[in-house]
Amino acid sequence: MSSLLVKAWLRDWRRRPLQRLLTLVGVVIAVAVVLAVDLANQSAQRAFDRSMDEVAGTATHQILGPAQGFDETHYRDLRLAGWRDTAPIVEGPARLPDGRTIYVLGVDPLAEGPFRGAASDIGDAPVQRLVTEPGTILPPSGWWAGSGMAHEDRLALETAAGRFEVTLLEREAERDEPASNPAEEGGSLWVADIATAQTLLGRPGRLDRIDVRLDDAEIDAFAERLPDGLELVPVAARDQASRELAQAFRINLTAMSLLALLIAAFLIYNTQTFAVLRRREVLASLRLVGADRRALFGVVMLEALLVGVIGTLLGVLVGMGLAQVLVGQVAQTVTDHFFVVAVTEVTPRPLALLAVIALGVGLSLLAALAPAWDAARAASPGSLGRGRLERRARRGLRGLALAAVVLLAAGGVMLLLGTGGLVGSFVALFLLITGFVLVLPLVLAGVLRGLARLGRGQTLPRIGVRSLERSLSRSAPATSALTLALAAAISVSVMVGSFRDSVEQWLGQALTSDLYVVPAAPAAARSGARLPADWRDTLARIADAESVSTGSSQDTPSDAGMIDLYVVEPHPVWLDYLPLLRAEGTGEELDRRLRETDAVLVTEPFAAHHDVGVGDRLDIRVDDGRRMFEVAGVYRDYGSPQGTVLMLGERFYAGTAGADEVGSFGLRLPDGADADAVIERLEAWLAERETAAMVTRPGDIEQESMAIFDRTFAITHLLRVITLLVAFIAILGALMALQMERAREFATLRSLGLLPGGVRGLVVFQGAVLGAFAALAAIPLGLGMGWLLIEVINREAFGWGMDLRWPGREIAETVALGVGAALLAALIPAWRMARMRLVPALREVP
Amino acid sequence: MTERNDPGASVLAMHGVAFGYPGEGRVLHDVELALARGERVAIVGESGSGKSTLLHLAAGLEPADAGTVELAGQALAGLDEAARTRLRRAQVGIVFQSFHLIPTLTALENVMLPLELATELDAAQRRERAGAQLAAVGLADKGGREPEQLSGGEQQRVAIARALVHRPALILADEPTGNLDSRTGEAVFGLLLEQVRATGCALLLVTHSDDLAGRLDRVLRMQDGHLQDLAAEASAT
Repeated sequence: MSSLLVKAWLRDWRRRPLQRLLTLVGVVIAVAVVLAVDLANQSAQRAFDRSMDEVAGTATHQILGPAQGFDETHYRDLRLAGWRDTAPIVEGPARLPDGRTIYVLGVDPLAEGPFRGAASDIGDAPVQRLVTEPGTILPPSGWWAGSGMAHEDRLALETAAGRFEVTLLEREAERDEPASNPAEEGGSLWVADIATAQTLLGRPGRLDRIDVRLDDAEIDAFAERLPDGLELVPVAARDQASRELAQAFRINLTAMSLLALLIAAFLIYNTQTFAVLRRREVLASLRLVGADRRALFGVVMLEALLVGVIGTLLGVLVGMGLAQVLVGQVAQTVTDHFFVVAVTEVTPRPLALLAVIALGVGLSLLAALAPAWDAARAASPGSLGRGRLERRARRGLRGLALAAVVLLAAGGVMLLLGTGGLVGSFVALFLLITGFVLVLPLVLAGVLRGLARLGRGQTLPRIGVRSLERSLSRSAPATSALTLALAAAISVSVMVGSFRDSVEQWLGQALTSDLYVVPAAPAAARSGARLPADWRDTLARIADAESVSTGSSQDTPSDAGMIDLYVVEPHPVWLDYLPLLRAEGTGEELDRRLRETDAVLVTEPFAAHHDVGVGDRLDIRVDDGRRMFEVAGVYRDYGSPQGTVLMLGERFYAGTAGADEVGSFGLRLPDGADADAVIERLEAWLAERETAAMVTRPGDIEQESMAIFDRTFAITHLLRVITLLVAFIAILGALMALQMERAREFATLRSLGLLPGGVRGLVVFQGAVLGAFAALAAIPLGLGMGWLLIEVINREAFGWGMDLRWPGREIAETVALGVGAALLAALIPAWRMARMRLVPALREVP
Repeated sequence: MTERNDPGASVLAMHGVAFGYPGEGRVLHDVELALARGERVAIVGESGSGKSTLLHLAAGLEPADAGTVELAGQALAGLDEAARTRLRRAQVGIVFQSFHLIPTLTALENVMLPLELATELDAAQRRERAGAQLAAVGLADKGGREPEQLSGGEQQRVAIARALVHRPALILADEPTGNLDSRTGEAVFGLLLEQVRATGCALLLVTHSDDLAGRLDRVLRMQDGHLQDLAAEASAT
């Protein structure tokens, strides 16, 4: 390829730096968003998987007992009986002074050999110190950087059992040889000797589980040896549900990033086609001096490649930075809902990087393909131009509309048939979105024609709308980009708003007590903590309560795998407050059934994930062994994405002495009781108890729950802002392109007497028309997407149902945002057009 | 020798005007020009001699680097951009070589445009007057067509109608037949002269054609940025 040819083409970068910059920015943002979300997802995923693997190690089975743990002598008995591949575990969350939640794994390093890497090497100096020095703990290697702590420093940990000072041991500090990959070692778990963990977590003499490695032939013999109250559970059953749920959350995020990519694709296409058309006179001259078609095609594609490569490389840098912001949020959400994970670094995977680079460069090349083909194929220099492109664009409208109908039908059929699970639902959603977007140009053309007819007699507005209609190849992609961004914003508002309202309403219903007495531990560390059950009568007396309820959550084996079982001793008429979705009989009959027969209630997510309904039976392990329970009803609950089984205490403890410990007490006070005075009395009594507990009001719990909720969805808001930014740039680019192409027309108007202010007004008017169209088109698309997210994707991913809320205020805000963004984007070209020199513009070749 | 006239009666007066594009050196040098009301003047000269630039300065599209330009008795130099535009749209009609019709408007709407910008007429009045002007250039039946549906000659006739419709004092015509074949060009030029005569406005025409120029009241030659009056030179020799 001639170097002069390349020079002739690329020198335009110097002449029109802003235009080229916009093209670059489009690629940069598209690549950055997709990479950032992928990196954040993958990093959190790796941390999650590592944590799950570390917790389970290479165990094939786990021995589990009651929620409050079981006596450690069972472990000794197993070892004495010759089962050597066994390892005792005490585990639970704790809180660091900076508020972050960590996961403490208490192990017996002597028994760890076959199970976990983190604490298996007893010859390793720090591991040895764990055994010999009580109160020592081994933080994950990645935690040290930025912690401000050093080897052998003291650190205060807050757990369900209270506040403890521990001594930090750094593996590297005591090793003779450095580890090959210290960042990977130890993952996100804080490893302690089992005795230290028992003290920290308030389980003296008790174990949470025993990890076991068994081959198939040994399983039955081993299970038979277990004493009553203990159960052998395969490891896979335990963490599978958590992994699936965390994956559903990530798929949601990935879908958002792909939406940003789709919008960015419009932006890149728009700017690339403009970059070529803008220089049609250069192309014409090059043809006249003998440049052949292949050379012209090559030079256009070479520029696209340059834009793609530079934009992608910059996008990778920006994306890495953005990922650092996102990863914290993703990790926090996973911690809030699934498992404690700590992500200390964002490590790009080479394959993911390559994929994103291919995406950015590929998209740039693809966008330039059509204009490059045009440039090369033009039979004569004069045949290359906007007119031809616009005629072709108008001819293509019907084809696009036909494709749209096919896509919409395909998406609709997929949704109706419910094929492909969560991924299938997303594919259907994208088919519907793409179908809607493809039909937009036809609608836009019709609307603009209609507006032009309406504006008969109003010459300037008519020029404005007709000019947009005649530049459909430019105005349609920009409008589509803005429509998509605004629709995404509306759909997120619909989903998050509906979800938030439903959760708030549910909390109001679920928190039926006036006061709660709960273990004194951070919320994330509270689930495993327990209070003595015999406090019940005393608490009722001190508070002068009408009734006292208790509740305890525990993981328990069942034929549906490990399940979250919520054992309650409720207030009277509790069913009046429970949001039952499906049940047989009246409240009274249901209450009697739950008390007198082996029956349970399940939450909506549980019913969805395990495909159970009213009348189905579950084999659940209770205090005295496994029994069959009938599902008597399904109720709405947002407490756990995995789902929960609710059982009354009298059924769980039927035939046994009853609970020694409970998770919390709920106190219902008589009307007119002075809650503050009651709290004061209760706190005074609790202060003298050995077990740390605190009194909370429903409002506090509600606030804490809503804070977790808002943290969960903060990332979607961030992505929404980024998407809008991309759309803003798209519409800015389109308007600039449109105005520059129409510079001669504007110059003519100016020479005929239109004032600079009139030109500004005209350009801003065009921006307003595009913005208003995009905003109005975004309302049905956004509401439809929101409905699909709630009714199909959320149900598929999490099993949560929710009441659809039509977000009137958010829609109004989004419409204003769309029009505002378009107006704002119109300001720069308006200013440029009003200030342009008329004579050079008048001399432009039409 | 430069051309002089009584500025008081002039619709256009230029005194000592100089102009150059950035980085291109001077295009016009010390230009003196006066156009009386109703007078029809042609400027001829080589390509690049500065003819069109002179027209742009006369219309107030570019400000002069030196000297004064007065349009209908008002000095352009003292006016801001908006005031210059108001003066232009009231006093000037422009006919371009490449027509410069607004492609998104019909022929009739193109002609209505100056009325909308420069007059207080209501929509019906604008439509009526533009229709009449279009009829005057022989396109009464083509008002609903868009520019790209018209031939080159028809487009230039629409441009002439648009330049005249708001009754300006001065028509500036830059090579109005330059993009037309000779027969069509002849017809369009005849029409332009006829309409200028009918409305009584002054005409400043830039052309390459000595034939066309010879049919106007006076012919000036632009050479290397200097304006010369051919008739005055001839009488001097």
